[in-house]
Amino acid sequence: MKTTAIIYKVMILVLCGFFISCEDYLEIDVPDHKIVSATVFENDEIALSALDGLYNQIAAAHFTGGGASSVTVLAALSSDILNPFYTTNLPYMEFDQHELLPDNFRNTNLWTSAYNIIYMSNALLEGVADSKSISQDVRTRLEGEAKFVRAFIYFYLVNLYGEVPLILTTDYRTNALATRNPEEEIYMQIKSDLQTAIDLLGVNYLNGERTRVNYYGAVAFMARIELYKENWEKAEILSSEVISQTGTYEILENLNEVFLANSKEAIWQLSPIGRGDNMTNTHEGANFIIDPIYSFFAQFKLNPIFVDSFATEDKRLTNWVGFHPATTYYYPYKYKIRNDTEEVTEYSMVLRLAEQYLIRAEARAMQDNISGAVSDLDKIRERAGLDLIANVDPGIGREQLLELIFQERKKELFTEWGHRWLDLKRIGNTGEVLGEAHPQWQETDVYFPIPEPELLTNPNLTQNDGY
Amino acid sequence: MKNNFGRFKIIVLISLILLLSVITWKATAVNAPNFLDNQNAQQEVTGVVTGLQGLPIAGVAVFIKGATKGTVTNVNGEFTIRATQGDTLVFTYLGFKPVEVVLEQESTLNIQMEEDVSSLGEVEINAGYYNTTRRESTGNISRVTAEEIELQPVISPLQALQGRMAGVEIIPGGSHPAMAPTIQIRGRNSLREEGNYPLYIIDGVPVNSTPMESNSLLSNTGIDPLNTLNLSNIESIEVLKDADATAIYGSRGANGVVLITTKKGKGGTSGLDLRFYSGTATVPNRIDLLNTEQYLQIRRQAFENDGVEPSPTNAYDLMLWDQERYTDWQDFFFGGISPITDLNVAGSGGNENTSFRLGGSYHKQGTVYPGDFDYQKVTGSFNLNHISENKKLNINLSVNFGVDDNVLAGNVNLETNAFRLPPNAPAVFLENGELNWEEWGEAGLNNPLEGFYNRSDTQSQNLVSGLGVSYHIFRNLSLKGNFGYTSFNSGEVVKRPRRSLNPAYWQNIDHSSSHLEIERKSWIIEPQLVYVKPMGKGNIEGLIGATFQESTYHQMALQGEGYVAESLIGNLTAAEQIINASSENSKYRYAAIFGRLSLDWDKKYFINFTGRRDGSSRFGPDKKWANFGAIGGAWVFSEESPFRNNGFLSFGKLRMSYGTTGSDQIGDYGYLDAYEATPGPGGLYPTQLFNPEYSWEVNKKLEAAIELGFIKNRLNLGLSWYRNRSSNQLVGYVLPSTTGFSSIQANLPATVENKGLEIEISSTNFRSKKFHWQTYFNITLPHNELVSYPGIEQSSYANIYKVGYPLNISLLYQYEGIDPEIGLYQVLDFNEDGRYGYEDRVVTRNFGRKFFGGISNNLSYKNFTLQFLWEFVKQDGTLDFFNAGHLSNQRAATYQALEENSIYQQVSASSQANTAYLRVLSSDFSVVDASFLRLRTLTFGYALPSQLLKRAGIQNGKIFLNGQNLFTLTEYEGMDPELPRGGSRFAGTRTITGGLQLQF
Repeated sequence: MKTTAIIYKVMILVLCGFFISCEDYLEIDVPDHKIVSATVFENDEIALSALDGLYNQIAAAHFTGGGASSVTVLAALSSDILNPFYTTNLPYMEFDQHELLPDNFRNTNLWTSAYNIIYMSNALLEGVADSKSISQDVRTRLEGEAKFVRAFIYFYLVNLYGEVPLILTTDYRTNALATRNPEEEIYMQIKSDLQTAIDLLGVNYLNGERTRVNYYGAVAFMARIELYKENWEKAEILSSEVISQTGTYEILENLNEVFLANSKEAIWQLSPIGRGDNMTNTHEGANFIIDPIYSFFAQFKLNPIFVDSFATEDKRLTNWVGFHPATTYYYPYKYKIRNDTEEVTEYSMVLRLAEQYLIRAEARAMQDNISGAVSDLDKIRERAGLDLIANVDPGIGREQLLELIFQERKKELFTEWGHRWLDLKRIGNTGEVLGEAHPQWQETDVYFPIPEPELLTNPNLTQNDGY
Repeated sequence: MKNNFGRFKIIVLISLILLLSVITWKATAVNAPNFLDNQNAQQEVTGVVTGLQGLPIAGVAVFIKGATKGTVTNVNGEFTIRATQGDTLVFTYLGFKPVEVVLEQESTLNIQMEEDVSSLGEVEINAGYYNTTRRESTGNISRVTAEEIELQPVISPLQALQGRMAGVEIIPGGSHPAMAPTIQIRGRNSLREEGNYPLYIIDGVPVNSTPMESNSLLSNTGIDPLNTLNLSNIESIEVLKDADATAIYGSRGANGVVLITTKKGKGGTSGLDLRFYSGTATVPNRIDLLNTEQYLQIRRQAFENDGVEPSPTNAYDLMLWDQERYTDWQDFFFGGISPITDLNVAGSGGNENTSFRLGGSYHKQGTVYPGDFDYQKVTGSFNLNHISENKKLNINLSVNFGVDDNVLAGNVNLETNAFRLPPNAPAVFLENGELNWEEWGEAGLNNPLEGFYNRSDTQSQNLVSGLGVSYHIFRNLSLKGNFGYTSFNSGEVVKRPRRSLNPAYWQNIDHSSSHLEIERKSWIIEPQLVYVKPMGKGNIEGLIGATFQESTYHQMALQGEGYVAESLIGNLTAAEQIINASSENSKYRYAAIFGRLSLDWDKKYFINFTGRRDGSSRFGPDKKWANFGAIGGAWVFSEESPFRNNGFLSFGKLRMSYGTTGSDQIGDYGYLDAYEATPGPGGLYPTQLFNPEYSWEVNKKLEAAIELGFIKNRLNLGLSWYRNRSSNQLVGYVLPSTTGFSSIQANLPATVENKGLEIEISSTNFRSKKFHWQTYFNITLPHNELVSYPGIEQSSYANIYKVGYPLNISLLYQYEGIDPEIGLYQVLDFNEDGRYGYEDRVVTRNFGRKFFGGISNNLSYKNFTLQFLWEFVKQDGTLDFFNAGHLSNQRAATYQALEENSIYQQVSASSQANTAYLRVLSSDFSVVDASFLRLRTLTFGYALPSQLLKRAGIQNGKIFLNGQNLFTLTEYEGMDPELPRGGSRFAGTRTITGGLQLQF
């Protein structure tokens, strides 16, 4: 029996051996479709593709993508520009009729995707800060662009929702319990982020593609912030800086070229390729154009009152407004391609030079530089084929001129990034303009409601008034 | 620490070498005496072993008591053995009473063996790492054998189990061949749909039970990984249910274990089995829909009621389309006949020490849908079994290989169109066979078969191979090793020619194709030591083992675009560009140590401890390990003196078990803080919040059972009560999106409880030489409940589950009758806010099964056999298609909506009416009884007279007819009560096949 005893002992040893080596055995390598966050910021190349990823996701996200739940669509519905194609489409009707409910899923999409982009920007900023090995060059680009993106998103959040939680880290434990910050505090953060971006970003576009924010993109956006904050002088200086780059930016004479990829009017565009579906058209093209035969795909139509506001000779009416004979509906036709898989020809416009002229016109008018303002406004009117104010009404008064500028902003920037909705709120006459057609209008409707699911999951969040 | 591991490995290696040397030495040592067997006065004894009916029994073990050598009978029941006068010859065969004969002078022995119906003890049941018997088992194991399932013309072996096992709920996937059915053993344990798969083990080798992804029409359910197994090659399927049986599988046993054992060769006989059957499948049911006249009448009335003038846009069925035309769209879509052909060949042979079995099969089945599509599979299997001369070494190799090819229409809506299309809608195909675009286009519609020329071709190859080696070191101790390798590849191409789409898009759309390649591989090594020692009146059995398993997964998906010609689609070199390419690799490693200790005393008392310590790479660094274990006990009280020799009660056993199992069914690498590639080119992005802390779901199982046998076990009754509590639920914990994401993977203290009662009865109603009748009955009364879920209101499950209710519920509006003013359906606005939201869904209805089971009967009279199985289910379902007036066809019953005071709302085509209808669909109004009693399968066989066959050199011959879903008794007015939500889905085709089986 002695051998037996030995054999038992050996076997127990063998089993123990197996067991102890298990600890090692269970350590598996990271799979090749994932990269551990720490590794992402170990070298320049990977860190830069995280930045590419941020832009790709901006092009794909609800908030920024120009699609069905984008700022472009929802804010245009809420203003006097766009109407739902079907009155049965309740989620859109709620925006259109200012009867928004906190559980509107499009509003939830809007909010959720905005904070997802903020998370990605914050993750990039934290990754850069923690990294010791990436080059200074890459570091400044990453920080500059990520901060720009963060400022850009907060600008829309604060305008659409008022006070919102200001999230600057990726720690879900604290972010899950965030409270709403005052608008002033958010604007301060926006300005500080933008200033960092201005300080860090270079003036050139990468490979001639206007799909990355450069120095002028940050300056142009800062010009808008200063305009909104009514710092007229600063707004004028900043927009002038962009306008003066005549080698890079110009107002294109042909309206049908404005929204083409890398058009000279573009300051920042998003490429549909970044979405990663196989379509090469913009979401705006897909959503707005009413198919001549298959109109049942359509979701939106232009508000007929808005279409009527164009002078008949306005080239924007003929070039940027489409007409669908069978339904007699008008639709936004800035983007010409509804559905395509061929080579990409149009990019989704985020910032363009025409807005800078309008910013400067307004800033100059506010500083009583009427002739300067008129010349900026005429730049836009000239292209639209309208009579120049300098010719027909050179002695125009300030208030009258400002009113014209707002009308021009509406006609120039319609269905682009909710300009009209934000303008109405900024000037404070949303109710005046929209109230007539919407008897249920309430002053509290200038803000969208905080989405219901957010209130359910975060006890520290409060709802906007009126919801 | 690293150093220490290195040293340990060396120690382990040396120990192994030592061990192996010892084994070799021992083996030779023990071998020697065998040559010294008593050779004096040996004589050759021959004979035939037959059953009571006089039929020869093949494979009976014949050996001399006390000796290790023996033989087995051949197909004619004949044997030859050398023995000495005075030796006791022992004849044993599974299911028969052993026979012992003391050899006198005779040289011929004809033995008659009697079936051992009174003993449950003999049939061995596979319990995974060990075998047990019905009589001695301490756990709950259900079993079906080849005879019950092998003739069924189904693709997945799981489908053949429907209605046969208590506690096992199988719901077919759908109407396309190869769709994965859902199997649930004792209910749903996990809140996550994908966390409820049982563990599949084929010949000792675990196989991933998650359905394979697909881009084809199978994408909803996925593809069942068991499809490529040959049903005819399965010897038995055991399902382990309670803690005692499953705890040895630790973290993989929470949802039960399905053990599949394939057929082995029988020693001493060579034989060839041939089986062929063919037949057809059709869809047995139709929904009674409106005909053209009724439909148009309702539509006209709708416009009149609405005060709306019909126009070509809102009433093309009235204005543009032929008012007389009638098409039975159900017949058009699924009225086809699908042919089925199946061929099986198996050859086996060997001698008393070595046996093998080789098998092959071909199965082909068409589709009931329009178009030329089919499913084909070819399988091959090999099994080799060897026992050394001294019975010490046993090697068993099993290889199962299957290839299938499934060609389906690509991405077409084949289901709801059949019910929704107005009966006077234009033809789908032109006379030349092309899709009719023009006539549909006039109404601004797409052809309902848009996409028809898209074709998906899914091919998979599945290899499951296992090698089991065991060696008897000493009398009491054996060393065992199980080695397994599996590989499952599937390749899928979906071809999308432009002509499949509306010509209006042709300008912008290219010919394109999607490709999906998936590769799953795994290997497993399980060394084990088994100790068996008789002690007095009892026995001790011990088992200790370890598992090392690695699974790799590889997936590659891409799309090709811009083919210049349709014939080139799929040939990626001819594609203008390749887009949306993605690939994913993942690895899963699993290690464990497990053991079992089983004691029995006096064949009366049994106790069984099982345990496992599991490590999984799916969890974060500190959460990789967990322990699971169970205790099970049984008391055969019929052996106690008050019951012994009781003429009425012949067997009685009480059984109990309690223990824990777990589930690690979540994605790999979830704990990593990582970036992934964006769908757009060149980018990386964080895809989730990470949580390194999450861990196993734990399932505590309790069972108590009683098993009784009456009148020499002619009537057997099994009654089991179980309660499984699954806690520590791994769910997406919902976060506000200010965190960047909407949830994080975490364990929640939510508990799901499954409890229920299972009753199994088997009875031999009649038994004589000519006539034999057996009945099996099983019924399960399950109860599922979400016992607790702190914070469910804030979670994404708030509108899906409710604490105190089963998981399989729907939250519905309360139907309030028809609004007398506007004549439309009305549901209760509970919170009176003028809107209908989830707060108004105050009715909770359980759509789970209230009870289910099956009754099967086996009858034989002379050469005739008849088997049939009824399956029954008590449950609720919902019904759709009663929106009279809407632009789509409806149930014929809605015709009464034209009358006053019907149960349906006023006929209307307005959007308010449609909204009211959609709302009432989500109310208790649409809930109906969907219970059914279905003749699931019926087999009639005739054994060809043996005299006739003998002349042709055939041992056995049988012709048979098999029918599936021949008859269903239900009040449910949908297509198929097995898929009772809405009513348009169906799975069970009526299949009738006939065939021939020959044994050479």
